[in-house]
Amino acid sequence: MSNAEIEIAVDDPTAPEENSPSVTSNRAVDVAVSLLLLALAVVLAWDNWRTGASWDSTGPEAGYFPFYLSVILGGASLYGIGAAFLSSKEAMETFVTRAQLRRVMAVFVPTLLFCIAMQFLGIYVASFLLIAGFMRIVGKIAIWKSLLTAFLFSAVMFVTFDIVFDVLMPKGPLEAAFGY
Amino acid sequence: MRNLITIAAAAAAIFASAPASAGWEPSKPVEIVVAAGAGGASDQMARMMQAAIQKNNLLKQPVVVSLKGGASGAEALMYMKSSDGDANKVLIAYSLIYMLPLSAKLPFDWKELSPVAVIALDQFVLWDNVNGPKTVKEFIEAAKASGSPFKLGGTGSKREDHVLTVFLEKKTGAKFSYLPYKSGGEAATQLVGGHTEANVNNPSENLEVWRAGQVRPLCVFDKERISYTAKVTETQSWNDIPTCKEQGLDVQYLMLRAMFLPGKVSQEQQEFYVDLFSKLVQTPEYKDYMEKQALKPIFLTGKDMIQFLEEDGSLNKQLMTEAGFVAK
Amino acid sequence: MEALGLLLHGFAVLLTWKTLLLMMVGLVLGVFVGVLPGLGGPNGVAILLPLTFSMDPTSAIVMLSCIYWGALFGGAITSILFNIPGEAWSVATTFDGYPMAQQGKAAEALTAAFTSSFIGSLVAVLLITFLAPWISSFALKFGPPEFFAVYLLTFCSFVGLGREDKHKTVIAMALGLLLAGVGMDTVSGQLRMTFGSTDLLRGINFLVAVIGLFGISEILLTMEERLALRGHAASISLRTVLAVWKDLPKYWMTLLRSSVIGCWLGITPGGAIAASFMGYNLAKRFSKDQDSFGKGRIEGVFAPETAAHASGTAALLPMLALGIPGSGTAAILLGGLMVWGLNPGPLLFVEHKDFVWGLIASMYLGNVVGLVLVLSTVPIFASILRVPFAAVAPMIVVSCAIGAYAIQNAMFDVWLMLGFGVVGYVFKKIKIPLAPFTLALVLGSRAEDAFRQSMIISGGNMKVFWANGLVGTITTLAILLLFWPLIDRLVASFGKSTPPAAKVEA
Repeated sequence: MSNAEIEIAVDDPTAPEENSPSVTSNRAVDVAVSLLLLALAVVLAWDNWRTGASWDSTGPEAGYFPFYLSVILGGASLYGIGAAFLSSKEAMETFVTRAQLRRVMAVFVPTLLFCIAMQFLGIYVASFLLIAGFMRIVGKIAIWKSLLTAFLFSAVMFVTFDIVFDVLMPKGPLEAAFGY
Repeated sequence: MRNLITIAAAAAAIFASAPASAGWEPSKPVEIVVAAGAGGASDQMARMMQAAIQKNNLLKQPVVVSLKGGASGAEALMYMKSSDGDANKVLIAYSLIYMLPLSAKLPFDWKELSPVAVIALDQFVLWDNVNGPKTVKEFIEAAKASGSPFKLGGTGSKREDHVLTVFLEKKTGAKFSYLPYKSGGEAATQLVGGHTEANVNNPSENLEVWRAGQVRPLCVFDKERISYTAKVTETQSWNDIPTCKEQGLDVQYLMLRAMFLPGKVSQEQQEFYVDLFSKLVQTPEYKDYMEKQALKPIFLTGKDMIQFLEEDGSLNKQLMTEAGFVAK
Repeated sequence: MEALGLLLHGFAVLLTWKTLLLMMVGLVLGVFVGVLPGLGGPNGVAILLPLTFSMDPTSAIVMLSCIYWGALFGGAITSILFNIPGEAWSVATTFDGYPMAQQGKAAEALTAAFTSSFIGSLVAVLLITFLAPWISSFALKFGPPEFFAVYLLTFCSFVGLGREDKHKTVIAMALGLLLAGVGMDTVSGQLRMTFGSTDLLRGINFLVAVIGLFGISEILLTMEERLALRGHAASISLRTVLAVWKDLPKYWMTLLRSSVIGCWLGITPGGAIAASFMGYNLAKRFSKDQDSFGKGRIEGVFAPETAAHASGTAALLPMLALGIPGSGTAAILLGGLMVWGLNPGPLLFVEHKDFVWGLIASMYLGNVVGLVLVLSTVPIFASILRVPFAAVAPMIVVSCAIGAYAIQNAMFDVWLMLGFGVVGYVFKKIKIPLAPFTLALVLGSRAEDAFRQSMIISGGNMKVFWANGLVGTITTLAILLLFWPLIDRLVASFGKSTPPAAKVEA
């Protein structure tokens, strides 16, 4: 699968601009990810070694499989670093252009803020803010439409989950003021 | 809005039935926390309670069952521990409250929660496949004579079933290898399929395969026989199963089923639930359930409950230590 | 023929206005519940269970099972439209379903998904009707070695399929297996890889990971490429449905294969997930044109959906006959049965004939009514795609967050979801395949448990995987599949004989 689904739909009329400078190459990201995975493998291998990674009378111990899997993961990551350095093709490929990164951040940062806000304001208020803000600022949709959509969606979610189905969601000061 | 309704309802309740205490009442849905997966004994019990509470109008708020069976139920314990002061959550506890802190070094102590009531005791029965030996004596002889150790299935590792297996070994001198499954239901079907030689399931877990004549109860791990005398299979009632002691195997174990609130709840809140559960155990649904699952009736609250928990806790600790299951 | 008479009796029990009305209500609720990512089958059924407490058992189970069918149908909708699988077994549906939706063929993909769900369920119900007693004894033959062999078969059907670099597939699988192992180890009761964290104690929930890997990362990628979720301008009509149906006979081999896999894995507990993956992999493996899979090929929707639903339906059989639920939703239904005093087990078929055959009859009716219902609502669902992306994107984010939170009521899971969203985004870009990663996450710990239980049984002897005909056959089959690319090449080099399955028209 990988990024096959993107390739298909590139015939988009508003295709990305060609001349945006590249932020980083696929090779750099590949090496960075491999290093991270290698570090993870080392930590997990150590933890599983501590748990017990030998093969006793009743078969493998709790840490046996995870330990060897960590070794395999570490090995494959090392191989990946080598392969990435040798591949000149990957060095040419752009991971993201600056314009692309800006667009990704335009959705990632609001999502991150939404998750943070959820802890203090509850999920419904946070989702109202996210939807209204995103529609208005990123989508440039009329403010009344944004507010109305956001309110309706959050309200429907609230009624569905907290009232009809009794699924208890994180709630904040606003809901508390109404007695929930 | 809902506040108003609640106040109105509360006012109406006071006028309607003067003797009812006008104390605390939950204002949000009450969550029954289950420390096991879907379909297990605790889950079934929670759903029975949900049905009994709703049918008999014991609560104004809805009852929600939340399954927290992750990490063999440790998830539920940590969830309760982190919910200090929240009187809308009530845990169905069983012996994991003593065992998990010992075997998995879980930072949990039942004393941090607020006990409500011990509502039942669950039995353990030694079962074998219907094609296997017919009595405890024959079973043990066969196990000793067998070239490879007899396989005994059970729920989880270093828990009730595993402890009982170790004590079976100690008392008889026969060798068993213990197979940990995810649930008692799985242990039951694996016994029927002949993949294991025996299990020590609770009555409820093996009930249906027993009625179908696929497994045979050898003995019950209690001082006295189970009291229910109504026929369960065509020929036998629970009362017909001999105790293990009668059969010359002196091993006893009973498992509590108890309700707890999180720590730091008020006296009033605790009393509300004591009252709720003392009404609940009087409902026909509850009584029916007890008999069907062959649970041993008991109802302890307050000081009696604490005393019971302390004794039971130290007994479990002793068993776990002797079995060598306490993590260093 | 006794079965037929009993089935007719079952229909007679059902055909009252009240029951039919309950079925409709159940189906609508089920589809609704299946579409909401936070609910899904098991949660939805659990939440709606109390509604049925006041009914008689037969009405109640008819309504509940219709909720179940509805949720099964509904789960496909979010997978195809938003790349968010509602249930673990919908993951494989996203592989080709979502690309189809992106190409403006959402209606075709949805029709294909619903139709194949229907076919899969129908085959399984037929099987239940006529082979119930025989099947329950077959399910009993499965001990730990057999379970492990089945999981091995699923993994092996995957290896060597992708065009990605081999070491990246290895990374994906190893990482997935490692993450699946976090939490408590069933066999030893020890905690591992939790680093003292209470949040990691319960392990990494598969659905949380999947919501992040697929849902969130897709939003990021879509933004990056500036592609809105684009709907087909043309209206969706009966013609689309008929066009898809007209093509059905071409895929008879895929449908048959997936139905068989589904039924077989459904009666072994926990099989629906394995079934959907295996159905997809085998369809790909035996296809002439492997590369077109994952790019919006309708066969890639047919294969996993048929298998998942055949197995989801077949899973009800071990639940009724043995009391072991084959899926999370079946487990909740099991709880429901107990509330009404019906204890699933071998005697249920003898003592509660009305109930059992009423339920089986409701499987037929529920499926037919459900198919008509969902097909007629396809235009409504497909029209979601025409809403501006700037409005849909934050709503998807919110739905993902609700979904991740609701599974275990934990804020930690929302963060985990966000983390997996970033991981999914980066992995897709540097071509670390997500499919083996998710498969390893779902089946990893079960495979490990089964392996270690087998080792306890055999005292550490590997011969246990060839101990009898059943397990031996499955294990050998798994190893054969593992080396299939090699064998295929060998066969091809000796004369030009192609394997028969490859003759299926592409």
